[in-house]
Amino acid sequence: MERLGGFGSNRVASNVIPVLFGLFGVVITNVPISAFGSWIPAPMYALMPVYYWCLVRPDLMTPGWAFLIGFIHDIVSGEPPGLWAASFVATYAIIDKQRDAFAGLSGFGAILGFATATLVACSAHYVIFSLYHWHLMPVTGSIKEFAVTSILYIPVVVVLAYMHRRFVGPLRSEF
Amino acid sequence: MGNGSWKISRSRGRAHLPLTVVAVLAIFLVLLGKAQSSLFDRARTGVIDWMQPALEASRTPMETMGRWMGSIGNIFWVYQENLKLKEENARLKQWHNTAQVLTERLKRYQLLLNAVPDPALSSVVARVIGRANHPFLQTMILDAGKSHGAKPGQAVVDQRGMIGRVYLTGEHTSWVILLTDLNSRIPVSIEPNTDQAIMSGDNSPMPLIETLARGVELKPDSQVVTSGDGDILPAGIPIGVIVKDGSHYRVALFADQTTAQDVEIVDFKQKPEHPPSVGQQELPVTAAGLAPAAPQPQAATSQVMPVPPPVYKPPLPPGQKPAVVPQQGPANAPVNNAEPGDQ
Repeated sequence: MERLGGFGSNRVASNVIPVLFGLFGVVITNVPISAFGSWIPAPMYALMPVYYWCLVRPDLMTPGWAFLIGFIHDIVSGEPPGLWAASFVATYAIIDKQRDAFAGLSGFGAILGFATATLVACSAHYVIFSLYHWHLMPVTGSIKEFAVTSILYIPVVVVLAYMHRRFVGPLRSEF
Repeated sequence: MGNGSWKISRSRGRAHLPLTVVAVLAIFLVLLGKAQSSLFDRARTGVIDWMQPALEASRTPMETMGRWMGSIGNIFWVYQENLKLKEENARLKQWHNTAQVLTERLKRYQLLLNAVPDPALSSVVARVIGRANHPFLQTMILDAGKSHGAKPGQAVVDQRGMIGRVYLTGEHTSWVILLTDLNSRIPVSIEPNTDQAIMSGDNSPMPLIETLARGVELKPDSQVVTSGDGDILPAGIPIGVIVKDGSHYRVALFADQTTAQDVEIVDFKQKPEHPPSVGQQELPVTAAGLAPAAPQPQAATSQVMPVPPPVYKPPLPPGQKPAVVPQQGPANAPVNNAEPGDQ
């Protein structure tokens, strides 16, 4: 019973952890300090909890939450509204469709799985942005963003896994 | 789950309907944002105003960590850095003295010419609490908004030069579009010939010079400043220097937007100050203790000959003396055609 939520009766609090991590990722992505300078875009931290909990607890990370996190990312980053929201939803759709394939990955394969999801998100964002401005954008920035996000997933997933084990837990139906 | 490990959920099918709905909603949102781009501005500023404490709170530990990480590498370069700073400080002191002398001289000239001084610029100091560094977007969030006097269009500078301009203001926060952003367009003037151009960002570290007059050749390291055209920005704010990039020109910015933490929002919309009326005591002659000159009669002033425009004279070959040209001035004016070496 403890694994259904570390807070016991306060299960609601543990259930919002995935969304809170997504929002925290939005904030971290837009903090003014950059460890990589201006040459490398900020990593898409918000995509990591969306991907992770979309795989392991889709009941807590629903398409609505993915949409909301993407929308808040649009709002906070100053981009036209809906671009990242649509990209996140497109990524969510891919993950949801190929969940069995993604969920079966482990170790280095799990990183490649997230890299695939990041590639989908960055590609969707590139296409939507180019259509939005009706101008073909340079792809260099998107490639850098894809690379740095994929690499930084390795340390972040350790934190996400710990939080999941400690506070969130698996679905009740899996017992 | 009895073995203590957690499993991946494989439940499918439940999220499909909401996924379709949300996808339609996302597309609708994009189209709505395209049609009414300002529709979400209020929501944007409201959210950022609400998130300001969180952004400021997350800024402090990140800044500390960044300094700590940066200081590790700097330890090895402290000695060289110290020598370099001492040398730079000595040079800057010289320039500081020169700037003071020139400023005083400029003031005197403006007073003599009764020139209209530059408009007074007030500024608000703000801290950077957010910075979006994305592939197609480079913006900053400042912790000063309408309540501090910030308005859209105002220039944002740091101690080195211009960074960007405010394009959206909330009650306590402002959005700054950086010079390197894809949507940035700034009218600039390029020294020393004051060539007018448009500087546009393309998400690269060095913005592009566009709309330059045909045939104009720019020299590398020429200084780029704001031109003030369009009454958008004050003229003369330093931006950077020209760098040749193939067939294009780019601008290497003075300001480093990745490290700027405290910036100034320059308010340009103040009315220009009118020059103070020049009193008799402020004239140089009276200030020197001499009596002011008597006003000349109208007939005498109307006969003043206009000064001929300067004529370019090519340099003489060595050893050749310049030809004597009769002066057109008053007949009793002394004419000195002798060279210093002839006496």
